Amino acid sequence: MKRSLAVNILLALTLLALVILVALPFWWVISGSFKLPQDIIARKPTFFPHSFTLQHYVKLLANSAYTTYVGNSLIVATFSTLITLALAVPASFAFFRLKFPGRRTLFRIILLAYAFPSIVVLIPLFGMFTKLGIIDTLPSLVIVNVAFALPFSIWMLRSFFATVPKEIEEAAVMDGAPPTVILRRVMLPLIAPGMASVGIFAFISSWTEYVFASVLIISDDKRTVPVGFAGIIGQYQIDWGLLLAGVVLAVAPVVILFAFIGRWFVSGLTEGAVK
Amino acid sequence: MKRFASMTLAAVLISSAAYAAPVELTLWHMEQPPQRVQRIQEMLDAFNDSHPDISVSQEPQSWGEVYAKAPAALAAGAGPDMIFTIPDFTPVLKDLGKVQSVADFVEKLDSEHHFIPATLEPYTYDDGVWAVPLYNMSMNMWYRKSEFEKAGISVPETWDDWLKAAETLATSEMYGIGVPANKQLYTDQTIYSVMANGGASELYNEDGTLRFDNPETVAAYDFYSKLVALSPPDVNSWTWGEAEACFTSKSCGMIMQFSVISTYDTQGGGAPEDLGIAAIPTKNAGGEHNTIAYPNGVMLLTDDKAKTEAFETFVSWLLEPENYGKFLNMEPGLFMPVTEDGAKAESFWSDPMVEKYKPQIETAIANSKNGKLFGFTSGRIFPSIAAISAQNLLAATVQDVTVSGDSAADAVAAGQKTMEEAAE
Repeated sequence: MKRSLAVNILLALTLLALVILVALPFWWVISGSFKLPQDIIARKPTFFPHSFTLQHYVKLLANSAYTTYVGNSLIVATFSTLITLALAVPASFAFFRLKFPGRRTLFRIILLAYAFPSIVVLIPLFGMFTKLGIIDTLPSLVIVNVAFALPFSIWMLRSFFATVPKEIEEAAVMDGAPPTVILRRVMLPLIAPGMASVGIFAFISSWTEYVFASVLIISDDKRTVPVGFAGIIGQYQIDWGLLLAGVVLAVAPVVILFAFIGRWFVSGLTEGAVK
Repeated sequence: MKRFASMTLAAVLISSAAYAAPVELTLWHMEQPPQRVQRIQEMLDAFNDSHPDISVSQEPQSWGEVYAKAPAALAAGAGPDMIFTIPDFTPVLKDLGKVQSVADFVEKLDSEHHFIPATLEPYTYDDGVWAVPLYNMSMNMWYRKSEFEKAGISVPETWDDWLKAAETLATSEMYGIGVPANKQLYTDQTIYSVMANGGASELYNEDGTLRFDNPETVAAYDFYSKLVALSPPDVNSWTWGEAEACFTSKSCGMIMQFSVISTYDTQGGGAPEDLGIAAIPTKNAGGEHNTIAYPNGVMLLTDDKAKTEAFETFVSWLLEPENYGKFLNMEPGLFMPVTEDGAKAESFWSDPMVEKYKPQIETAIANSKNGKLFGFTSGRIFPSIAAISAQNLLAATVQDVTVSGDSAADAVAAGQKTMEEAAE
């Protein structure tokens, strides 16, 4: 059925409105980060910058440990993502395929763990990590991030396993493949988009995690982006240019990663499914 | 032989003393902006160089997390040896039994440098002094001299003058004033500054019961709501930064603010002759101008004798006038001296930014002498102030008037009830 011109125009306008709604805050942040301080806080803000300066970026990179914070965030988020995936895949496959007593109950309890307010374990965790000697270390953040990302990742991946046609798995069983081989050779290529989704979820959760990173890390040179950034801004004053430049540099690695690398990652993995 | 043994022993002692590790002190502070961290590091480097037997290192923290982080760290044995503090925060650590009284040390420092009494008061209770005051912050009224001249008004002295000035300044290009109405610490500070100038500085009766619900407080809230009505419509979400931006961009005729002059200078183009800083107006003519003030101090968190001595050496060094000004000017204009000789120190007044805004800073220092802080005004500490402060109940009452539309009398009565519940 062919859509009428009026409907097409309406759809285009709706789409345009949505794009503006999503893109406008990004535009304000990015364009603002290149404006002079007086233009940023001007009562009548300009949509297109009337001035151009890199002073906020220079100040951010020269006067703070911002690159260290970004490096720490990359380490924590990458390891958290890899470990989450490594644990979530076999766990969700076990919940999907293996039969064992209390499977359903355990599966529901896992989601409860996701709904658990993490803040209440903050102080006990601090004491526990101190006894283990891992306070003020990046591995402590990796452990926390994996612990909080894992339950939802298991749930997500299990639903991806459920979308795989049963016949494919049955064919592998007929060929005599054990569960580990079925998982590795048959299921993993088919649930690749799910793994990519979980990877993105785990990465962004770790990248943006603030509460634990702010308490478990004591030294400045081990801070992640959200915590280091909060410190740069200060309490009684706000350097708006620094704030905007910091936001751009905080978001940029994630956008670049998933706009380019993420796309290749997903397409590469899903090739197996097509075959 | 005996002589040889003695000489050997002496040599061993001398060499071991020569190679003795310095006493290490860790300092937590919440002055995280890069320029402040950098200035503190410069101070520590200078101190460590001149005192090879002591090594002080800093670990900047955030005010947002330190209330939870410091107790956890201390309980786990991973805390610092000294930590910067404000009066609200001190009881949190004192209740853990970790803070050492520095009464004798403060007495000695006072005889040398003469503390402003208002900066010592919030730390003096329960037979001890729980922090050494280091720097003060006081709230003042900011205005633009050129706008006042243009409008033909003078600096307001009373609430009536103040309201008229805000009404006169309000044009299509500018809001008459900008006062916050967010449920946040900034609003606690501004409403208390108004309360303190309207005879409502005491939150507690002598017996420790709350006296928030009284005619003076109601009058202060009623007046404050009139100021909010002349402020920008987004003041319900304001913190210090938004107020500063409103004033700096010439969108607000007046604000109440701590004196972070560097932001006015850098973001507003810097016109020192146009920046007016005045005392916050009083309810009636002839009254004493009060304001909220936060004397920041340093707490000692160890009972180790060597570390205590090192702490005293470090703090004494910091308060020496030749060092103290440089320390205060980690944020020029914001941090005020707490000692008489510090207020005259060459190291303080020779900073380029301080030289540029000297009259404004002199006014801020004068105003800080009448500084008050809610819950710390009677020489005694009532523990419930921590809950009232933490939940921003003074600001919540402002919102009841300005957002919910309650009358000031109803809002204050409800505020007293909420405070009593929080105090339980």
